[in-house]
Amino acid sequence: MTSTFEYLAPDSRDELLGLLADRGPTAKLLAGGTDLLVDLRNDMVHPECIVNLKKVPGYSEISWSEEDGVRIGAAVTINDVLHSQVILDSYPLLVDCASDLASYQIRNRATVVGNVVNASPCSDMAPALLCLGASAVIASHRGRRVVPFTDFFRGVKRTVLEPDEILETIVVPAESANGRGGYRKLKRIKGHDLGIVGVALFKKDGVLRLGVSSCAPTPILVGGLPADAPADQVVAAVGQAVNPISDLRCSKEYREHMVAVFTRRLLREVK
Amino acid sequence: MNISVTINGREYTRQVDGSLTLLRFLREELGLTGTKEGCGAGECGACTVLLDGRTVNSCLVLAAEADGAAIETIEGEAADAELSSIQEAFARHFAVQCGYCTGGMIMSVRRLLEDNPRPTVEEIREGIEGNLCRCTGYQQIIEAVLDVSGQLDEATSEELKHV
Repeated sequence: MTSTFEYLAPDSRDELLGLLADRGPTAKLLAGGTDLLVDLRNDMVHPECIVNLKKVPGYSEISWSEEDGVRIGAAVTINDVLHSQVILDSYPLLVDCASDLASYQIRNRATVVGNVVNASPCSDMAPALLCLGASAVIASHRGRRVVPFTDFFRGVKRTVLEPDEILETIVVPAESANGRGGYRKLKRIKGHDLGIVGVALFKKDGVLRLGVSSCAPTPILVGGLPADAPADQVVAAVGQAVNPISDLRCSKEYREHMVAVFTRRLLREVK
Repeated sequence: MNISVTINGREYTRQVDGSLTLLRFLREELGLTGTKEGCGAGECGACTVLLDGRTVNSCLVLAAEADGAAIETIEGEAADAELSSIQEAFARHFAVQCGYCTGGMIMSVRRLLEDNPRPTVEEIREGIEGNLCRCTGYQQIIEAVLDVSGQLDEATSEELKHV
């Protein structure tokens, strides 16, 4: 790591929001660190200070209520999700996406919130969160706002977050509980790898939604389809929505092909 | 800043720079060089240690974040010059070639066996998915884990062929 920075670990929410208000533009929030430390090492980011958010009370919690659904705090790791009984029982699509993310060691550190605020096109959690109608609860010293994930991403590595803001909580609504779904991710090897194409499919109460990663500048949602839509119609809708590029991992044409393959496979498997 | 950490049961207090990684802290400040740096980016697992009982890539953790934590490294595996049962099984099955991945690999195997004392071949493969062996000696590693979990006789040769 070539850069040096000040390390700060506020132990209250007020202190954290105050730090972001004063130093937001030159600060970087640290949760799991599995992307930030790599960026620091590669000299991609040069923050004056790193603000560890893991000591803020409540940020490591997953909670559930009938009205709100499940709430996932900013410091909740991917493996926390995989050990949460309410998520295991009621949100199988989150479990599918989480268990396909990187390696066990990374899942012990990487957070759900980190996976979406990075706004990588190949985010593994975003397709599920889009399908489930989840929202981001964003806080700053100015107050709080709620942004659905359909409006959250602004481009490759860009979101609606301002420098003084933090995504504090992800809310997955109760009405998305107990749906059926699945996630298929194309990668070079069976283990730890970045996705080349990712497709999540969710069905509940006659509604069908698909979330797609690595096929557009941001993860995207394909919604508004009836659950009994013929496969050809669903594949056509997904094909319309995606806009993949060719890169070192695969060609645009292969991505378009595999999105269709995964969509058909999921339609067959998720009854 | 000052940090206090317990490593393999012994407490250390040191003044560290905020940008120092846990990996470099272990290797360069404390001389615990059994933990290796492979990729430095969380891909290879050579730097795997247990942080409060959970396996992590120590290259992706700041030393400052480990303040107050209990850390276990490969140096804590052997007690009084006696190899642990996992280390003995690795030696018995020639599961060590160049040895660079071994420290991290053994930390992941230990975590796996603590959670699941009798893992299947598939579960072993998943348990070490975050640890790359560039000598590609995975088969011997899997045999060592089957052996130390008392399952080598039960594992069919057919199953091992597909490892």
